[in-house]
Formats: sequence, structure tokens, C-alpha cells
Amino acid sequence: MSKPRQNFDPTKPVNMIDLTCEQVDSIYQHMLTKGMPEIMWTVEIQKFTWEEIRDAHKNGKKLIAFGGPVPVTIMRAFDCVPFFLDTIPTRIASMEDLCGRFIDETEKYAPQSMCAIDKAQLGVMLKGELGVQVDAFVHATVPCDSARIAYPMMERLMDCPCFTFDCPFRHDDKGFKYVAEQIESFIPFMEELTGLKWDDERKAKFKEINEESNRAYELLIQLGDLRKKTPCVLPGRMLVLNAIIAPLAGTPEVTEMLQTQLDMGNMLADMGMTATRCPEERYRVCLMQNMLWSNTGIMDWMEKTYGAITVMDGFGYQDGVILSDLDNWETVKYEMAKMMLLVPMIHGATGPTEYWLKSIDKMYEEYSVNVSIFMGHVGCKHTWASGKIVTDYIQEKYGLPTLYVDVDAIDPRYKSNDELRAQIGEYMESVVGAHNFTKDA
Amino acid sequence: MSYQKLFETKVSGEAAKAWQAQGKKAVGYVCCHVPEEIFYAADVLPIRLRATDCVDSSDAETWMTSFSCSFARSILQYLIDGTYKLDGLVQTDGCMMPARIMDNWEHISKKEGKDQFTHFIGAPRITNDISTGFYKSELQELVDAISKFSGVEVTDERLKAAIAKTNEMRSLMDQVYALRTAEKPVVSGAEVLSIALAECDHHIDDYIQMLKDFLADAKNRKPIEARSRLMIIGSALDNPEYIKVIEEKGGIVVADDLCFGYRAFGPQLEVDDSDVLGSIAKYYLKRNVCPRSLDNRPAMHKEIIDMAKKYNVQGVIYQKMQNCECWGGEAYYLEPDLKAIGVPMLQLEREEHMANAGQLAVRAEAFIEMLEK
Ligand code: SF4
Ligand code: SF4
Repeated sequence: MSKPRQNFDPTKPVNMIDLTCEQVDSIYQHMLTKGMPEIMWTVEIQKFTWEEIRDAHKNGKKLIAFGGPVPVTIMRAFDCVPFFLDTIPTRIASMEDLCGRFIDETEKYAPQSMCAIDKAQLGVMLKGELGVQVDAFVHATVPCDSARIAYPMMERLMDCPCFTFDCPFRHDDKGFKYVAEQIESFIPFMEELTGLKWDDERKAKFKEINEESNRAYELLIQLGDLRKKTPCVLPGRMLVLNAIIAPLAGTPEVTEMLQTQLDMGNMLADMGMTATRCPEERYRVCLMQNMLWSNTGIMDWMEKTYGAITVMDGFGYQDGVILSDLDNWETVKYEMAKMMLLVPMIHGATGPTEYWLKSIDKMYEEYSVNVSIFMGHVGCKHTWASGKIVTDYIQEKYGLPTLYVDVDAIDPRYKSNDELRAQIGEYMESVVGAHNFTKDA
Repeated sequence: MSYQKLFETKVSGEAAKAWQAQGKKAVGYVCCHVPEEIFYAADVLPIRLRATDCVDSSDAETWMTSFSCSFARSILQYLIDGTYKLDGLVQTDGCMMPARIMDNWEHISKKEGKDQFTHFIGAPRITNDISTGFYKSELQELVDAISKFSGVEVTDERLKAAIAKTNEMRSLMDQVYALRTAEKPVVSGAEVLSIALAECDHHIDDYIQMLKDFLADAKNRKPIEARSRLMIIGSALDNPEYIKVIEEKGGIVVADDLCFGYRAFGPQLEVDDSDVLGSIAKYYLKRNVCPRSLDNRPAMHKEIIDMAKKYNVQGVIYQKMQNCECWGGEAYYLEPDLKAIGVPMLQLEREEHMANAGQLAVRAEAFIEMLEK
């Protein structure tokens, strides 16, 4: 095996935030010099995300680390910068050396079977290499058992004020009311943390941020609708990019990014284009579990090789709750709670397998899926344990056999690109009967 | 009933069969956040599910895959292969593995046309007034559902009568555990785990009687000589054989922090007459049974340390089930805390099926030798 390329000196302490900012910036500069204006926006948003975190204190704001579904627009209304800890593993998943550094650190104290999303973020804390001081930690009791190792440890390692939202298993009126009640009790926590009052000024700011957030979620719904069209003009990669809405909802930057994506998509649709990079779109793929952050290129490869576009995935699929009456705090709390619980069934929310079947119905029907892949992240045991129910259902209802591929969504060392391509390729060619366009060349 | 039945560890199904023969219902459950008192108040026999002696869980693996915890998977196996013939399943999200037993069992039993009563209780993973209120309302839903199912209305009076019994059982169990504080205990760790497991298979009245008989006879038992005093903590352990292998190497397990051991019993449940169900909710949510909650670690660790001191423990064995993340990360803070009181910790990985007894024996022996030095 070739030695992984180091983009830092492994013998010296690392500053994770600075390193990430530098990496994103070098991609940005590279694109600038190459003159790629049509896709600059995909990097600009990442640059904004990381620099906002790095510069929070410089800009006089408090930095709040968070995990799981939490009300980020309240944090922004209190003039804080929300830092979604999951963006650490998802960002560094493509940097094998850095990712491995943090995962290996966690494995000294926790089982290897733990989800690498949690392993990577915990590893950063254990090594003390985050590079920024957080002022508070807000998290939710997400379903994953791995988070039960990571969050309590991170709470102690961060040694700052903490607030925990309890996510109920049920996602119904009773569950929403339960979370809404917790949102109410989050306000005094934020007041104490920031020294700011939940007064008219704060509420006005909150309303403004939620208006912006609504705009972003409306765009996300429109982007979803665009993906339903055949052929699909938006590549699978965009699903990965759009996950950035979680920490950025309420910022004009994310709204702008989504708007650009939508404009571009509509333009391509008007031109009769497809995202396949093949003569035609032949297959509409649903990836059913987490995203393969460690190898997003696999979606490009499927597009190029088989004309197979990932139209939706179990992670990116969202019902898109729009806050209906921003002047009514009771309604806002309830709908925010709904938003928190209705994120897809993996990391974001808890719940019975039945909820997953409901999103399968929506995804498979509305997106005209004809290739079904369970790209199962090995750390996510509770979704694996639902896998057969889900894939049997797909077979019975939609007549589609599902390919099971075990991957590590974060740790690129788990499976090589060649191995993964071989597994998917064999399925595409021998089960789906797909033509390999690259062989034509 | 002879108290010797306390030492029969096999899943027997006898109590459920006898109960069902009277035209009553027997219902299974998996995690410690399902209060047995509610079942007894509804005249339903609660059977806490376990997977002792399960050697092949391949049917269940088809459903839950090899990425699941083998304890949970083996319970599903016992449901599929008919080792358990029960009228239903009540489940909480103790951790996500038992939650998936419920999903899969609901699905499989429906497919097979089996008539099952199934009910899910959401158990919060933090403890405060809001979460306790929510949990109480979840218990109320169970009360309503189980009353309807059994045809017996669950009243406060019936709940209080059930609590009186479970409290009696808890205090008897305290007496069993008190035997372990002696310099040369008359009961081994494997035996205590068997006694605790027997609760899963017997009606509480029979169980109480057996505990009383055992305690009355305890003075006639021979004190056990051992080279070192151990405590065992970690994932669900429902196999006394595992402790037996350790004890055969010369140690004696005198304390535990297991959800099938002391944690399953715990202290007395105090009842507030004005809010009986609320008292149950408070008790079950506050009792630290495992690291499933996000806010109970420091308290749990303190309890482990206190227990190690109380039972004069020389070493702690921390056994982790493969793929059990709930019990995966305690070493980081607990090990130094134990070290501070001079108690070393041995970490072991295991599966439900005890395939590596030889390796366990070697590790246990080396640990015991190390403690002697
Ligand atoms: S991938 Fe699964 S286990 Fe990992 S963080 Fe997400 S939901 Fe949890
Ligand atoms: S806590 Fe561990 S042993 Fe118990 S069911 Fe969950 S994963 Fe299995």
C-alpha cells in the first residue's frame, strides 16, 4: 500500500480549524487561477463556513459547538456562531492522513466499531487539536449509540456550559410538543450564556433569521423538485453540498448558494442537459443510508460510467418544514421541533423503521428511482439492523433488488476506491444490466 | 418450589406456560426502562428477555446483520425460533439495538401471522422535569394499552401493591448482595448472577419465596476462599458461565454493575401517593442502569467507585460486547478514577455466544496474578 500523503507534520500538534481553512482556501485559489467561475460558489460556501468558525471570537461572537438536530436560528438570534461538529468528519473524510490521525486517537479509548463520525470529532477533542475555544456545547440525544460515548466525553473535554435536547423516539404531535417544551427552556440557557435578553430586539432578529431560513428551505424543496425531473440535471455531489444547510440556515450565504444552484439547474434543464456526462441518463439511483463523505467521487464515477445519477439519498432527503407564522412563538416552537425531528432517520433523528419506510415511499415514487443501493456506513448499526425490513419492502413494492455495500462513510482506509467500484460495477453490469460507457472510448 | 431453581440458568419458559395455561397473558420486554410493576398491576406476567446459551443466532443475523450486538440479535433469535412463546413484546429505546428487536419482531411476527401485543415506550436519555413528565406520559400509554390487552384495569392501588412486591424483592436482593461483603463470601459471583437471572423466568411471588429460602439457608453454605476480590461491569451479561471461567482461575466476583445484576434491582422505589405513576417514572428514569443516558456518567462512575470500596474490590473486569457502543467508552474517565483508589481494570471484549472461554481464562488468570503481586 502506498504511504498516505501528509498535508501536515504528524510529529507536531495540528490546528484542525486552521488546517481546514487553509485547505479550503487553496482549493478556492486553485479554482480562481483556473478560471472556473461557474462552480466557485460550491467552494465559497465552504470557505464561509470554516472562516466563520475560525473568526467567531475575532468578530465578537460566541462559538457554540453542536451535535444532532438543535435550533440553530435561536443561536444566531443571540449573535452566536453555531459550529456543527459533524462538519469536522465530513470535511476531513477526504483527507486520509488527518482523518486517520483523529480516528486512531479515539480508538485508543473506544471500540473500533464506533461510528467514525463520532470517532473523528471525539479524536480532535482528545488530542486537543480543535484550534478554537468553544463557548458552549449544545447537543441532542441522537439515536446512534456511538454518540453516547462521544457526547458525554466531549462535554467534559470542552468544559463549557452544555445543553441537551432529548429527541423522542416518536415523531408525532406528542413528540413535537415534547421538543417544543425543551426549546422554551433553551432560551434562558442562551440568555445566561450571552448576557443578552430575549426581548423585542432579539425576537425581531430571530424573525429576520427565520425568514432567511425559510427562504433557504424553500429553495431546498425546489431543488428537490428539480431532481425529480427526468433527466436529472443536478449531480449527486450537490446532495452532499446541501447538507451544509444544517449549521447555516438563516444566513444569506447559504440562501445565495442554493439560489445559484437552482438557477444553474434550471438553466441546464432549459438547455436539455443531464448530469450524467454520458450520452443519456439511464439510471436513477437512490443511496439509502449515509453519504459516502470519504469518497463522494463514486457518484461522479457512476454518472460517467453507467449514466446513473444519484437522484436522492437517505441522508439528504428532507420533508422541508417551513415555519408558517413567524409572529406566533408557540407555532414557531412547534414547527422548529418538527423540523428537528423530521430530518432523515439516520444521525439526525431517532424513530422506528416504519419512518424510514415512509421516506422510502416518497423517494422511490417521487424521484422515479430504478437502482437501489444500501451504501451502509459500518458504524451505523441501528440502520443496518433495519436494512432487511427496508430492502424487502423495496423489493416487494417497487420490484427493485438492493445492492448492499458496506463502507465507512468517513474513514477512507476501510475500503479502497477500486474495491468499491468493483462491487458497484459488478452489480450494475450483472444485476441491473447496465452498459459501461467508459468501455466505448 | 425449591430455591435450587435459582441456579437453573437456562431460559425455561415454564412460568410463562403455566401463567398462560390460566388464560392470562405473558409479555416479554428487553430493557430496564420497562417497569415490571405495570405488568403485575395488569395481571400480566413480565418476562425480561435474555439470550443465555444461545449458540446460533443466524436467523436473527439475517435481519439485524453482523453489525448488531449479539445479545440483542440472540434475543431476536429466541423469539424467531420459539424459545420464547409469549403474547407480546414491550420495548424501549434503552439503546438502539433492543429498539430494532422490536422493529424486526413486529415485522416478522406479522409476516408469520402471529398475534402479538406490541408496545413501545420512549425512554428519555436525560433526566429533568420535562423528560420525566414525558416518560410518565409514555408509561400512561402503556398502562392504557396493557389494561385493554389484559382486561384488568391498572389502578393506583394495584400499582402500589405491585410496588410493594418489587420493593420486597429489592430488599431481599440487597441481603443477597450483603453476603458478598464478607471476607469469605458464601456465594460466588456466578451464583449471584444466576440468582438475579432467575427473576426473568419466575413470577415475583415464587421468586420472593425462593430468595427467602435461599437466604435462610445461606448460613449453611461454605465460605469461599479466593485469591482476589473482583467486580464486574459492562454490557448486558446473562451468562453465569462467563463469571465461572474467571472464578475458576482463583478470583471471586463480589460486586457487579450489570443490568442483569444489581442494576436490575436497585434501591427502594419510594411512592408518592398523590402521583403513583409519576413516582415510577421518576424512579426508573433516575436509576442509573447503564450508560445509555447522556447525563449520567459522573454519577454512574461514582457509584462504581463507591461499590468497589464497599465490597473491598481489588480489581475490576470491564467486559464489552462487540458492537455495544453504549458500554464502549467508559474507560477514559473510569480507569483513572479507579486507579486513584488503587483498583486496576481489565478490559475484555466478548460475544453473546461464549466461544473464547480459553482466552478469557488466560486473561483472567494473568489479571488475578497481577493483583496478587
Ligand atoms: S452514521 Fe449512524 S451511527 Fe453514525 S452518526 Fe450517523 S446515525 Fe449515528
Ligand atoms: S447496551 Fe450493549 S449489550 Fe445492551 S443491548 Fe445495547 S448494545 Fe447490546
